[in-house]
Amino acid sequence: MTNLNELEPIFRKVFDDDSILLQRETTSDDIEEWDSLTHMNLVVALELSFKIKFALGELQKLKNVGEMLDLINRKLGK
Amino acid sequence: MSSSIIRNSQHNIGFICTGQQCDAGLGDKLAMRWISPRFERQDFTFSELDRFSNKFANILQSVGVGAGEVIFTFLPKSTEHFFAFLGSLKAQCITGTLFSNFGEDALLDRLGDSKARLVVTRKSLYRKIERIRDQLPHLKTVILTDVAEHSSDDVLSWNKLMAEASEKFTTPCTAPETPSVLHYTSGSTGKPKGVLHRHGSILHQNRTTREVLGLLPEDLFWCTADQGWVTGTSYGIIGPWSLGVTQIHFAGGYSAHSWFELLQNEGVTVWYTAPTALRMLMREEQSLFREFDLSLLRCIFSVGEPLNPEVISWGRETLGKDVFDTWFQTETGGIMIANHPSLPIRSGSMGIPVSGIEPAILGDDGTVLADDMHGNLCIREGWDSMFITYLSNDTAYSSKFKKGWYHTGDMAWRDKDGYYWFLGRSDDVINTSGHLVSPFEVESALLELPEIVESGVIGAPDELLFEKVVAFVNFHPGVDFTPEMELNIRLHIANRLSSVAIPQEVIQVESVPKNKSGKIMRRVLKARYLGQDVGDISTLEE
Repeated sequence: MTNLNELEPIFRKVFDDDSILLQRETTSDDIEEWDSLTHMNLVVALELSFKIKFALGELQKLKNVGEMLDLINRKLGK
Repeated sequence: MSSSIIRNSQHNIGFICTGQQCDAGLGDKLAMRWISPRFERQDFTFSELDRFSNKFANILQSVGVGAGEVIFTFLPKSTEHFFAFLGSLKAQCITGTLFSNFGEDALLDRLGDSKARLVVTRKSLYRKIERIRDQLPHLKTVILTDVAEHSSDDVLSWNKLMAEASEKFTTPCTAPETPSVLHYTSGSTGKPKGVLHRHGSILHQNRTTREVLGLLPEDLFWCTADQGWVTGTSYGIIGPWSLGVTQIHFAGGYSAHSWFELLQNEGVTVWYTAPTALRMLMREEQSLFREFDLSLLRCIFSVGEPLNPEVISWGRETLGKDVFDTWFQTETGGIMIANHPSLPIRSGSMGIPVSGIEPAILGDDGTVLADDMHGNLCIREGWDSMFITYLSNDTAYSSKFKKGWYHTGDMAWRDKDGYYWFLGRSDDVINTSGHLVSPFEVESALLELPEIVESGVIGAPDELLFEKVVAFVNFHPGVDFTPEMELNIRLHIANRLSSVAIPQEVIQVESVPKNKSGKIMRRVLKARYLGQDVGDISTLEE
């Protein structure tokens, strides 16, 4: 089961911020650099890291990082 | 020139937007409803705006930053932005605002060029400045808005300083020529240029807020622009507050549902937003909009990129509202050409000149062209919000003025009824989501990556963004262009420059076309990308 600890380095690299600490409740409003353009970088980084593909707009519907994690786990069949 | 907002020759923007409103009896009126991303509301009256900005003006004096010196805010959308902006103007400092997604290169260019003395920021953003601080000898003080205690002698706590500062400050009588607001803008060559405005700009910003946006005392206004850009200061701060009009400011990002909930529940009467945002709304499930009652919303205005006729049709059909396009630039400081409710809209046009503004279409030889002829959009110099220089770059400033005309760099034409129609840029600057991106800056940042030999960057048409950044890169032998490499390129640009400069497409090429003097021939790249004739390539390097 993928967990927040595995997502954290990806977020830190994408948003260039080593201080990011993820919680299930974290949203784009909690990370200064997370906007619609950097979001695309996050999508690509997650796809490459986990070797999965997101459908267009699939991540936009998620409320927070917790739901993102659940979606990744579903795609990984975990 | 006399104006109803100028009393006793006081042109100070900070004072007119706060103290003068209190003097006019509006002290207890709501100036700003601040709405957090989680919809927590915080209200500020004009009296509070006045007192908090006075405190910041006193803080500047206490740390030794004086009139004519440069301070910046580098903040996400937050209340401190407004108090710092107005307070530093009261103290006659030059006040710059930095988009919170700027990376280190973008920060170094702006803070270094302006010799900034002080920056107001947050802890999480300060780490970017820390990495370059040894290259910023003039930067003496950093104020962090989210720490309780001072971290050192020169990294101070906003909360502590504000708690200790006096709320009384006498704004010096400020002449219209006094430098005021500083925004950096990108050109097709060289580093970004610091566009410096003056306190007298408030006359034009006030006039256009009345005459174009049509704001009335009882209005509730929402300008969605970030305060890091000129619309966010000219019309998200100065214009409405110089008229004593209440604004809402929302700290959250784009969300169709949240935005329409705000429009409805807060009772917004005039809304100023951007074509990209409107095009994103057009892509939403249209039934969403039927949930909301927008009967209080009188007008929607748009700025940043040309507004395509489809958006105007969508506004009418889906919202039952007209959307009015307006045009201006960082250099013009305020709206120059606009559509507004007292004019029939011509879909796709920029509108007609606002009062006091004389545009013309000039040929390359400087002659005024007749109606319907394509040429350079120019503005007769001397309007109130005209920029007064490019900081430390008088040559570039002078080059923008010829025979009494300011050359905007935009190409346009005028129809026989006086409506102006945008054609495109006369240079290579990319307008993506209303933000100007310099291809030169992106190309330079790409060359910082050790895998890349040469790069060329263009703007290509995009349905959502108006133009997207497309990068052509030639890699060193043996470097594979993998998806991981593409991600690295995107991250590098985001973190060195800004999220708005991220290439939406990266294309591997065997060489980047250059002329014989080594200049990148972006028009050739663009023509090839668009499948068009590349034209004259006689100067192409062999």
